[in-house]
Amino acid sequence: MAASIINSYSDPSSTEWMNAPHSTGTSIMACEFNGGVVIGADSRTTTGVYIANRVTDKLTKITDNIYCCRSGSAADTQAIADIVTYHLNFHKMELGEEPLVQTAASIFRELCYNYRDSLMAGILVAGWDKRLGGQIYSIPIGGMVSRQAVSIGGSGSSYVYGYVDANFKPNMSKEDAVKFVTNTLTLAMLRDGSSGGVVRLGVITEAGVERSVILGDQLPKFYEG
Amino acid sequence: MSSIGTGYDLSASQFSPDGRVFQVEYAAKAVENSGTVIGLRGKDGVVFAVEKLVTSKLYEPGANKRIFHVDEHVGMAVAGLISDARQIVETARSEASNYRSQYGIPVPLKYLNERVSMYMHAYTLYSAVRPYGCSVVMGTWSEYDGPQMYMLDPSGVSFSYFGCAVGKAKQAAKTEIEKLKLADMSVKDLVKEAARIIYLVHDELKDKQFELELSWVCAASRGRHEAVSRAVAAEAEGLARQALADIEDSDEGDM
Amino acid sequence: MATLLAPEIPCPGFSFENCQRNAFLAQKGFPAPKATKTGTTIVGIIYADGVILGADTRATENTIVSDKNCEKIHYLAGNMYCCGAGTAADTEMTTQTVASQLELQRLHTGRTVPVETAATLLKRMLFRYQGHIGAALVLGGVDRTGPHIYCIYPHGSVDKLPYATMGSGSLAAMAVFESRWKPNMNEEEGKKLVRDAIAAGIFNDLGSGSNVDICVIRNTGPAQYLRTYEEANVKGKKQGSYRYRIGTTAVLKQRVIPLQVESVSVHHVQAMDVDPSTSR
Repeated sequence: MAASIINSYSDPSSTEWMNAPHSTGTSIMACEFNGGVVIGADSRTTTGVYIANRVTDKLTKITDNIYCCRSGSAADTQAIADIVTYHLNFHKMELGEEPLVQTAASIFRELCYNYRDSLMAGILVAGWDKRLGGQIYSIPIGGMVSRQAVSIGGSGSSYVYGYVDANFKPNMSKEDAVKFVTNTLTLAMLRDGSSGGVVRLGVITEAGVERSVILGDQLPKFYEG
Repeated sequence: MSSIGTGYDLSASQFSPDGRVFQVEYAAKAVENSGTVIGLRGKDGVVFAVEKLVTSKLYEPGANKRIFHVDEHVGMAVAGLISDARQIVETARSEASNYRSQYGIPVPLKYLNERVSMYMHAYTLYSAVRPYGCSVVMGTWSEYDGPQMYMLDPSGVSFSYFGCAVGKAKQAAKTEIEKLKLADMSVKDLVKEAARIIYLVHDELKDKQFELELSWVCAASRGRHEAVSRAVAAEAEGLARQALADIEDSDEGDM
Repeated sequence: MATLLAPEIPCPGFSFENCQRNAFLAQKGFPAPKATKTGTTIVGIIYADGVILGADTRATENTIVSDKNCEKIHYLAGNMYCCGAGTAADTEMTTQTVASQLELQRLHTGRTVPVETAATLLKRMLFRYQGHIGAALVLGGVDRTGPHIYCIYPHGSVDKLPYATMGSGSLAAMAVFESRWKPNMNEEEGKKLVRDAIAAGIFNDLGSGSNVDICVIRNTGPAQYLRTYEEANVKGKKQGSYRYRIGTTAVLKQRVIPLQVESVSVHHVQAMDVDPSTSR
């Protein structure tokens, strides 16, 4: 037993979690409803098998009414979000009006595509603008961009595609959309080992953003047998 | 110009003692020698009309156009030196194209105008270059923002207009434009008015030949900038000739 | 064959002749040596009046303790300090570089630099080097917006947390924080908690050891750097003495050999100067 401890100490792979790039093994989601979009994410950040942060906020503000949900490498997505925030706020000053969600998605796409060989980032850009209302753009690894009425991302999303397809309805009410996102993320967190913690939510409408948190013990209950 | 010949008009990088930059003023003079260009902004679009002076009978009809497409949704009518203007058009086109590829949406005219104005203004600052000898009018229409139109000077100054005129007969044209209720008019009517004004202000004694160029960007063209269709242009031109003839008749009657 | 007239000219450019050998060695189970990472326990917490940072003082080179009392809490500015884990040279250089930029910023603006600025500078630098700078940092400090703790990883990601741990001992230290940290602790409670977290690293992680360093940064007043706050590993007292009293060993026999001393001394005598050219 003691020998195994000493071995594991001298073996560099035992400290792999420390050197491993910091990834957000994640469940993220965005969903259009009749007055805007609901965005949501779990709160787990992992390095290897260690939870480096159990209260992460993966919903990152870009402008007053545009947010992004980050999945992939934490360092990469934080850096991209910082650059896009700077770029878009500069653009906002040039235009003298709130930028469009599509514009934000385009800048994300530009970065994700140009640096596709060195980045690991799957991003959902969601927000509200006066031209097209609530919108969601999905930018997966590789730098494609596509508008979607509902979108999920991160490692946890694989488990809940069916649930989303079965339960999404266009033009839901805000309450229904929030419930739908909460349920989807809860299910994803239950089945995905690298997702978990609390559910963070954001409701983006013409009025701005409304942030909320659902703690682990207040999440909806599903079959646990 | 009192200070002409005192040496302060040789470079755009030097002020005259009374605070003027003569090279820029001379550039404006170059624009005033050109055929008249008018832009009209109605309720559902923007119309451009150009009095393109034909300096030789040997040109094919339609040669040396003065109305350009900058992007699908932006048109530009130019007055002044055509070669200078073509460079401005190129600049505007690449700005519009870059914007589209970077942000995935058509360039807002407000932003394009700012960029082109900055470009023109830069040519009023250095001794090694001369200002552009042209003025340009840019216009667009979109579902959300409606019609927009800007006119840019060689000095780099630009304003948004309901109606604007530049070139030889800009004064006469402006007087005519001021009589119109632009905000209530549709492009269908504006085309006729534009044609009429160009025919009216054309000076047959000094410049014999001219071609009327007409284009619009409006709701009817689904926000695209395009030349006014041959039938509509012919009708407008016919009405313009008729109106001119009526005036001449009544003038004779007065005599 | 190389001769004096036709010498062998060395090939210009890079030489890759060892690549094949190295690949062969790696295949045979002798991989290329890796850069050493120091095992460490570093922590930081927010308490009622500011932040408290803590660190152990062991520096290692693989399994050897190369420094038993090194400093892992680095100065960044008057209102912030930064604990470093990972490659010691990298944490030292990174914090020094950023400290210099922060001081210039302070002189330029004439204001206390916000902690967020330091976090941004650090993460930009680390992200730029794509993880090749092996610095894992716990940044703590106070500014006009209150106390802040940031966790900054070698690849350039940042977490903002009320309590944070880093290094190989971070699991042990985090266990202490997760069970005992609460908001608005007073300074004594805070220091105790940080000490216990570092001690957990020192005692349960082989990469951490020696003493506890603590740095208290209060919202009011200057930072208090408590170097060797506690010697967690005081060397134990030997239970018995291994010194023997004189006479413990019995004398069995005695013989005296008188030594005849003959003293000879050699004097060096300087030769007299007889050179006629120098005489007057």
